[in-house]
Order: sequence, then C-alpha cells, then structure tokens
Amino acid sequence: MLNLTSRAKVHTCDGATRRDFLQVGTLGAMGFGLPQLLQAQAAGAGGPDTDRKSCIMIFNLGAPSQLDTFDVKPEAPAEVRGPFKGISTRGDFQLSEILPMHAEIADKFSVVRSCYHTAAAVHDAGWQMLQTGRQFTGGVNYPHAGAVVEYLQGRRTDLPAHVVLPETMGRGGGNLPNGQAGGFLGKAYDPFALMADPSVENFRVPDLLPPQSLPDVRIDRRRKMRSAIESHMANFETTESAKMFDANFDAAYRLMNSPQAREAFDLSKEPTAVRERYGMNRFGQCCLLSRRLVEAGVRFVTVNTFLTVFGETTWDIHGSKPFTTIEGMKNIVAPMYDQAYSALISDLDQRGLLDDTMVCGLAEFGRTPKVNPAGGRDHWPQCFSCTFAGGGVVGGRAVGKSDPIGAVPAERPTSPGEIIATIFKALDLDLHAELPGPGGRPFPLVDFGVREIKELFA
Amino acid sequence: MNFCLFLLAFVTASSGGIESLPRQVTLQHLSDTADVVVVRTSGDNTAGPMVDDVVWTSSDPAVAIVRGDRVVAKSAGRATLTATDGSGATTRTTVTVRDEDYRWTFRNDVQNILARQGCNMGACHGTLAGKGGFKLSLRGYDCDADFESITRQARGRRIEMSDPGRSLLLAKPTGAIPHKGGLRLDTDSRDYEILAQWIAAGAAGPAEDDARLETIRVTPDRSLLSPGDQTRILVHGVYDNGEVRDVTHWSQFTATDQSVAGVDQNGLVSVTGPGQGAVLVWFGSKVALARFMVPFDNEVAPSVYADAPRRNFIDDLNLDQLQRLRLEPSPRCDDESFLRRACLDTVGRLPTEAERSGYFQNLPDQRRDWLVDRLLSTSDYVDYWTYRWSDVLLINGNRLRPAAVKSYYDWLHDAVAANMPWDELAKEVLTSTGDSFDNGATNFFALNQTPEDMTENACQAFMGLSIGCAKCHNHPLEKWTNDQYYAMANMFARVRAKGWGGDTRQGNGRRQLYVSTMGDLIQPNTGRPQPPAPLDAPAMSPDDPTDRRQVLADWMTSPDNIYFSRSITNRVWSNFFGQGLVEQVDDLRLSNPASNEPLLAAAAKHLIDNDYDLKSLMRTILQSETYGRSSVPLATNRDENKFLSRYYPRRLMAEVLLDSIDQVLGTSTAFTEVTFSGADKQGTDFYHVGTRAIELYDSAVDSYFLKTFGRNPREITCECERDDEPSMVQALHLSNGQTLNPKLESPESLPSRWGRDEVTAGAAIDELFVRALSRMPTDRERDRLIELVSQDADRTTALRDATWSVLTSTEFTFNH
Repeated sequence: MLNLTSRAKVHTCDGATRRDFLQVGTLGAMGFGLPQLLQAQAAGAGGPDTDRKSCIMIFNLGAPSQLDTFDVKPEAPAEVRGPFKGISTRGDFQLSEILPMHAEIADKFSVVRSCYHTAAAVHDAGWQMLQTGRQFTGGVNYPHAGAVVEYLQGRRTDLPAHVVLPETMGRGGGNLPNGQAGGFLGKAYDPFALMADPSVENFRVPDLLPPQSLPDVRIDRRRKMRSAIESHMANFETTESAKMFDANFDAAYRLMNSPQAREAFDLSKEPTAVRERYGMNRFGQCCLLSRRLVEAGVRFVTVNTFLTVFGETTWDIHGSKPFTTIEGMKNIVAPMYDQAYSALISDLDQRGLLDDTMVCGLAEFGRTPKVNPAGGRDHWPQCFSCTFAGGGVVGGRAVGKSDPIGAVPAERPTSPGEIIATIFKALDLDLHAELPGPGGRPFPLVDFGVREIKELFA
Repeated sequence: MNFCLFLLAFVTASSGGIESLPRQVTLQHLSDTADVVVVRTSGDNTAGPMVDDVVWTSSDPAVAIVRGDRVVAKSAGRATLTATDGSGATTRTTVTVRDEDYRWTFRNDVQNILARQGCNMGACHGTLAGKGGFKLSLRGYDCDADFESITRQARGRRIEMSDPGRSLLLAKPTGAIPHKGGLRLDTDSRDYEILAQWIAAGAAGPAEDDARLETIRVTPDRSLLSPGDQTRILVHGVYDNGEVRDVTHWSQFTATDQSVAGVDQNGLVSVTGPGQGAVLVWFGSKVALARFMVPFDNEVAPSVYADAPRRNFIDDLNLDQLQRLRLEPSPRCDDESFLRRACLDTVGRLPTEAERSGYFQNLPDQRRDWLVDRLLSTSDYVDYWTYRWSDVLLINGNRLRPAAVKSYYDWLHDAVAANMPWDELAKEVLTSTGDSFDNGATNFFALNQTPEDMTENACQAFMGLSIGCAKCHNHPLEKWTNDQYYAMANMFARVRAKGWGGDTRQGNGRRQLYVSTMGDLIQPNTGRPQPPAPLDAPAMSPDDPTDRRQVLADWMTSPDNIYFSRSITNRVWSNFFGQGLVEQVDDLRLSNPASNEPLLAAAAKHLIDNDYDLKSLMRTILQSETYGRSSVPLATNRDENKFLSRYYPRRLMAEVLLDSIDQVLGTSTAFTEVTFSGADKQGTDFYHVGTRAIELYDSAVDSYFLKTFGRNPREITCECERDDEPSMVQALHLSNGQTLNPKLESPESLPSRWGRDEVTAGAAIDELFVRALSRMPTDRERDRLIELVSQDADRTTALRDATWSVLTSTEFTFNH
C-alpha cells in the first residue's frame, strides 16, 4: 500500500502532526494524574494482578544485520554468509560469533527470525511500525506501545509511566514521525525523555533537583504565584500544547519532590562492579538505568541504542561513510550490545524481575542478504530478527524461519502488529481493549485478527 | 472498456433533486463497463451525498442495463438509463454502446490491473530488487521493462498463450500455485478475464500508437456533505486520442484527513466529522483530488460575515471559507494583545517601551498600521528573518567551517537588510561563484557538493518540493519522473570547486567555486547523461557552454513556476499564523491540499505582483483582520484549528523565548562554545556579550536551553526540525535549571534593580506584567501576588519568585 497524502512533519509520508488532532482530540485536556485506571477497567484492560508487569523495549536504531547476529546462515554462499561464523548457544539456535555473551544466556531469550514489514525501507517508517505496530497513514499518527500502556494504566508511582533513554530518536532520513510519541492519544502521553547520557561522570538527571539556592519554601511559593496568573486562560482553552505546558509543570513538581524518583535515577547507588558489568558506555548505563526504573515502578522503558543513524557508529552498516562498516559493527557496536543486553537479562533474572519484565530487542528492519560492494549491507524490511525475553516468554527458542539466504520469511511471517501485540500480551493487556482514536472513534489496540506470537509463550 | 463521457456541470436542480453521474456514457465495445453514481444536488456545482436507494431502469435493456452501480453493455445502440429514488425523484444518464473490435493492451489494461492488485507496489515486485525473481517497475512507470519482465524472463513461463490459466501471471496471484504475496486475484473476476484474454490474444507488448493517459478527472470533484453521509468517487482517464475511460476500478484512493472523511478501495467515501477533507486518487502515475466540504454544526447568521471587518483580500477569502464551513470569526483582539503578538511574530521579541508608548499615542484606528510599518523597518526585523532563512539554508557549524558560517550568514544578513526580493535572493544562491569567504552565497554549494544534493536541496528550500524519490524511480506522488530528476541534476553537473573539500572538522573552509564548460551527470539507469533541463522545462543543448544554473535559476524564479511563489508565501504565512496554508510547510506537492486554496493562490499572486517583496506580503498579512483576531475561541468556532477563525496560540520558538526572558529581566546570555555532533565542544569568539539568541549565525552554538526548547538543528531543509511542543524536560529546566535561575539572581536583573531602588511590590508587579505580558495585572492577580510577596521579609527574593512565576506562565511563553 502506498500512502499518497501528506500531513506529517514531513515530505514523503502522510502522518498528521499532533496539532491536527486538536480538533478531534477528546483527550486533549487530560493532564497527568487523571483516573486512567478507571478507563482502563472500563475498557476491559488491566486489573490488580497486572500491576507488576513492565516492559523494556530496546530499539536498535540503524537495524542490525540478521545474517551477522541472530539468523546466521553458515551454509549460504560467502557473499550472503558474510565474514562471521555461527556459534552454538545455550538455546535452541545458533548465533553469530560476534555475540558470545548472548550465547551464554540464550536459554533466557528467544529470537523471532521471520519478522518483516511492508513499508518503505527507510529507517523512520520502520521506527513507526515497530514501536506502534502500524504504519502512519491517512493523517493518523499511532501511539507508541508505551503510550498505550500509560493511557490504559496510568503511572504506578511518582515516576512517569513511560521513560525514553537516553533521548528520543533523532532523524532517520525519511523525515517521517518516528513513532516515539503519544500519537493520537495526545501530547499528554508523550514519554519522558531523559535527555542526558547516564554514563558520564557524576551523571544526574538534568534539572531534576532544585539548586541549593532554592529551599522548599521558595519552590512552594513559586507554585502558588504561578497559579495566581490565570486571568487570560480563556485564550488557551482549546490549545492542547498550552494545557500541556501547565500539566508538565505539575508533573515536573511531582517528580522533583519524589524521593523515589531521585533514588531511581541515581546510578551512583549501584556498585561499581554492577555498573561495569553493563559496560561503562551510554547504552550499557541506559540498560542499567532501565532496570532501576522498572524496579521503581516505571511501566515502560524504551532504550534507544543510538540517537540517530547519521554520524554515529551504529547498526546501519552500509559499509561506507557516513554510515558504519562491518568492522565497526564487529569491534564497537556488537560488543557493546552483547555486554549490556546479557547483563540486563542476567541481572533481571537474578533479581527475580524477569518473569514480570518483558525485554524486547527490536529494529526497524534487517539488512540485504548479499554483502554490497562496500562490504556492508543495505536496508531490508522483508526479513529480520527480533528478540524477546521475560514477561512469560520461554527462552531458548527460535520462532519462525527465514529462507536459506535470510531474504524472506520461510515460516511464520511475523508482522509489526504481532510484535506489539506480544508486548501487550506480556503486560497482560486485553488486545480487544479500545483506545479513543481520531474523531473519537474507538480504535483497537491492534488491528482485527492480529494476535501475539503464541510460540514465544509456554 | 473504452467509453466517452461528458462531465458537465450540474444542471442546477431544485433543492432535494437528484443527479446521476456521469450524464452520458459511451461504451466502446461489449466488454466495456462504466460505473454510475446518483447524488443529491445542492446547487452551485456542488454535489451532495450519494443516494443509495435508487432503482435503475433502461429504456432498452437489449442495449444496456445497470447492474448494481455498473453499466453493462448488451448490444450496439443507444439507451436512456433512469434512476428513481425512494421518494420518486428521477434522473437520467444516456448510454451509447458501440460494438468495436477491441483488444486489451499491455499499456492501458494489463498495467492498470497490476497496479490495482498491488503487484508492482514497493513491498512486492515493485521493489528495486523485485520479489521471487520477478521484478516490475514501481507502480508501473516503465512499461517496456515490465513487458520484458513478464513475457521474456523466467524462460517465458509467466505467459502461456495456449493455456492462459497456466501462465504464472495468472496461476500465482490466484493461488493455483503457491504465491508468497498471497491471494490477489479471483479467477471469476473481470481483471482475471482481461489478463487471460490479453494472453490468449498473443500478449502484445506496449506499442508506439497506444493511447497515452494525459490526465485523470474525479467525479464528483467537490461535494458538500454532512457527518454520516457517504458518496462515491468515480475516476475517468483522459487519453491523448480523445477517449475518456472509466478507470475507477483500477484507481487507488487515500483519505487526506480521516477525521473528516475516510475512503475504501472502491472509492466509497464516508464522512466522519466537520472540516475540509479530500480523497487523493492515483491512477497511472497521475493524481487528482476529490474535495469535501463538511460544515460545522453551528448556526451563524449571514450578517456575521457581511458585517465582519475586512481589510484586504485575505479577509475576503478567509471569511468566504468560514461562511461555507459555518464557523464564526472571533472578534478583533485588543490593542495590547496585538502589540505583543505583532512584535513577537515580526521581529521575534517583546515590544519595547518606546514602541508601546508610540503605539498608544496613535489613534486607535491607526496604531496597528503604525506598528506594522515600524516593525518592518527595524534592525531586529533583519536579525529575526535572517535567522528564519538561515534555518532554510542550513547555516550550520557542524557542516561548515566557522569562517564560512560567518560569510554565509553575513551575506544573508545583508540581503535581508536590503530587503532583496526573494527571487533575486534565490538567483544569487543558485548562480553563485567565487571565493566562499567573499561571496557567502557560494556556501550553498559547500553544503551540497553533488549535483543530486544541489538539486534536492534547491527544490526543497525554494519550491517546497521533495524530489528525492525520483532519484531511484518515478515519484509516486508527483509528476516527476526519474529522467526529469537526472535532467535537473545535470543542470548542476558543471559546478566545481577548489580548496576546502568538505571536512567539517578540518581546514579553514575556504573554497573557490567555479563552473566548468564541460561535463555531464550520468543517469545511472541508462548509462548516458540526461539532456539538462529544469524538471518539466525544455532541455538545453548539452553542448551549450553557458552556466546551466542561470537557465535553472530563471526557470525556478519565473512567475510561471507556481511552486516558487507558493513555497515562500507559505513559509511567510506559517510564521505569522503558526501553520502554513499547506502543512507541512516544506511539502507543497500538488497532492497535499492547502487548507484554503484560493487564499494561497491569491497570496502567492500578491507576492508576484509585488516583485517578490516579502515585506509587502508581510504587511498585507499583518494588516489583515484575519491576523488581528482574538485568540479567545467562541462556541461557534472552538472545534476548529485550521481555518483561521481565530488566532491560534503557540509556544514561542526557543530563541525568541530565551531572548524575551532576557529582555524582561535586562540580562543577557553568553554564547561561547560550539558543539559538534560527536558531542565535543570548541570555543567561539563570534558572539559578544549581549548577543541575542536570534542573532546567532549557527545552530551548533551550544545551548541546553535552545536544544531543550526545540531549535531547528538545521540538518535538513525542513521546518519540521523545529519543535515547539512542550515537554516535562522544559518544565524541569525552567524550574531547576541553570538558565532562568541565575538570571533571576543576577545583579542586573529586574528584581535586583527593584531591590536597590526599593520599588514597592505593587509597582514592581505592574512593571513586570507590562514588560512580560504587555498588560496590567488584574486586581486579583496583583492582590494575590502582593500578599505572597509580603509574607517574606526578604522582599527582593520574593519578587524574584514572582518574576519566575510570570516568566514561566503560559501567557508569557505563548504568543496569543
């Protein structure tokens, strides 16, 4: 399907800016702290037993080569196989030799090798689909899975329900919305993005704590004074962004006054050995922070492995500048990912958190079966691999199959909708629950007929 | 399937009448069909909703009948088809059936089916690599290659003339043999029948004398509908041999705004809510829009519009649209609001005390014009608009060396100061040569060093067109072809430079730009250069040694190139109204409808008539009553946010917010470092103490505040890179961060001065409100703030907090 219209912040796609939804958004007025749980119950989702479940979504910007990571093809010709060997693992599948630590914990996670999507092979399109389950069409921007969870269940503690580490995604080249927002649910469901690198020395959440010069009494006074200036609010009653501006002050006040939040974001509370286990780099420390946030009650953490695919060494191994070479992946990207991911899974497992915490490793697409003339691989949405652990997922399985060169799914083609449904299932959400879509129309969590990947669960 | 029809304007019928569309149908042969639809009529050439309870009868069922909504030919002759609705109203369509010998063609029949069934879409065989060894051109733009692929490749197994059903072309999509793309075609369908007959008849290839599609038409093209209504869009292809064919079945439909109307794959439109909606129709690489006006559920007296104040054409066209949509315009905003609003939108800062007093010294009916003229002639105008255009031209210290950044910026600043007409400015950029330090405009070519990049960025910056798609295949949403892309790129093929090569971290950035008299860009799909031509203009001789860019610039800036004038008009418009008449601002393709097309057309014409003098356009906008409306919604317009029934509040852009804080407080911000994308920093001595954020040359200047509040990082030419949405991170920064707090504590700040001068709390609060909000506090606000201030013995500190509360208020941080 090709989308012909365009309302997005963009040229080549057709999502609407969120402004487009002011007109129709029945939710625009919602700030934080509304009784979303009631709505959730009315919609048939959630319930007391579900309140322990969380999700950590690791998003591998740039898109790893399935053939060099989770779907090795030792039998394939050299131009397909690539330079790396397969190694056996504790799971029911082989992995690439560049992921040795994954091999050690492969009984804890499963890999789906038959993922595909049908949108254009541009990063942003895949970001949309893999984080929302849908491609943005007809002026509708869909909400990130974490925004849906926040909408249905609200925050569990003083911390936001959905946190993005370390920053929201940058640009992907297609100039499309990246799916890392509240979409038609409104700005109130945009995630809280850390906007800092937790691996830097003396890392602190920017501006989480008031400066020394501001005692509590002044902070309280400022709040009172700020609420005294209200006479012109009639100008803003239909302006969603203006309401959000105020709601954000309330949320910020709540966050900065929460000992729980201060504690959760304080990585210095972790022993050095633990920090080093994850790797003293941005991604490693984000993974560690995601565990602390889940422990502190955050329902959904999205970890962006990288900030953008330009000017960074990423999974985007076209082989030539400004992208990454296959050696860059082998020497920098893969070791970093291997270490942090395996540390996160082991740590969650040892703490007894893994059963209630789904960790999924997603990407916007895979890479071309044949190595290109630059020695890299290009974009390939027709077939790629994603990983799932925890939240009821049985480890050690390879679900689905690709054809002998990793070009198309050979068994159990798995769409982005099914991946998002799997996340919702792990969070015990009812897939039949409905969201208020554009124009107030009920909008199902996933499209009709889309189900979780049952083969991942017991 | 050939048939002719006449799409006539509606015969004006009395209200409640019905009308069948099209009025006349010609079926060229007995296998031909055409669809009909019956709509209610509402006068003035606008269709109403579809009538679905009609019964069709034929004056001669032996000639033609209507089955469902399709006219089916029986034998040659003429017949009158009559539709009768439930109330007994009738309408007629005449049909002429010919019994001509017709053979299905590859170009005009087979390709339509492949497109409609999705065979050649990007996710299937239309992808660059094909699928399962079968490759088609994306959406069928390359007939010859597709014919070759279907009939010659795969050892000819795709076609079995003796037994068409065994052809892979039919066996695969019907599931007779496994097809990874799933079931696409029903063996009982007409499309199957056509493909089978084409194969059986010898599978003839595309021929030179095939009719060529010239354009497509949609019927009804304009409808006046209500929520809950349905209608159906019929599509007709107009061919160069004069034939008009019903191609509805092979067309693809997409809704542009689903909150107004959705559409299914048969062109059935369902209206969901009020506003202006459209359905984009694609057929054979042509696009057309069917538009829907869905009035709001308001009662507004006609006198409201007749009596509404009007200043110029903007108001006429705006009120005309509001009346059609039954939206009431908000009244004029008060003069204080206008003062603050116009200053922020025109020069990017709050009003000065001199402006304020001058403004109010003028007579009420003259002060707005006085202010507008004054603002347009200030030096702050130059700084503000240089900054806005720097966003468009990507002046970015991450991509240019510092001296080049300065030279590019200085050139632009001089151009804005001289109010250089926009067409001249574009020409100076596009034809620039020489030393990048002496002629800053040449840095456009330092940022874009390949002919492809030059082409794409020139189109994006000056025409709001994204033509990158056409680099690999014909543009799926526009008329631009792959050949036109390379013809255009070839216009830049002779640009050469010596000196700095483009290393963003090394060297001085000095380069000499010149134009060679030789050299061409190879079109990779043919291996030959494409004759140089600006998109749809005639090609130049490849041997012509003159600077091709001159021809390109003349074409680009010609009044005939509507993209050029519309693009800059839309950019200026969005600055003042917070949204373009086309959204997104950088996305002007024809398939992206404007919220008020007559208004955009008129504003663009106004700009052309005034020789691309941007100030003239700005003045017209600023003087319009549409711009000067209150931002307070009425019950009769609160549900809309697109048609300018009121002024829409929006957060100040990052740079303006920071400058406004400094302006109120009397403080300044230091800009001392540039951040590179690797996150390392370097000092810069470009910015003296007191430099405002809007005066920065460059988006790479380090500032946590500007980053957090979403400045445009100038990575790509797109206004969408700027982010004016609020976030909790912003609230945390204003509350606890190291921007506002140190400013409040600074000895230069307004509260510190009040402390030294022992200003009373009441006087301080009055001054604060006027400086920050351009209004006096209400009694309640003043009393409450005085009460809170007086509870603290340290009055200065308490006033700092009062100042904080005003500077973080929605009223301050938004323009309204």
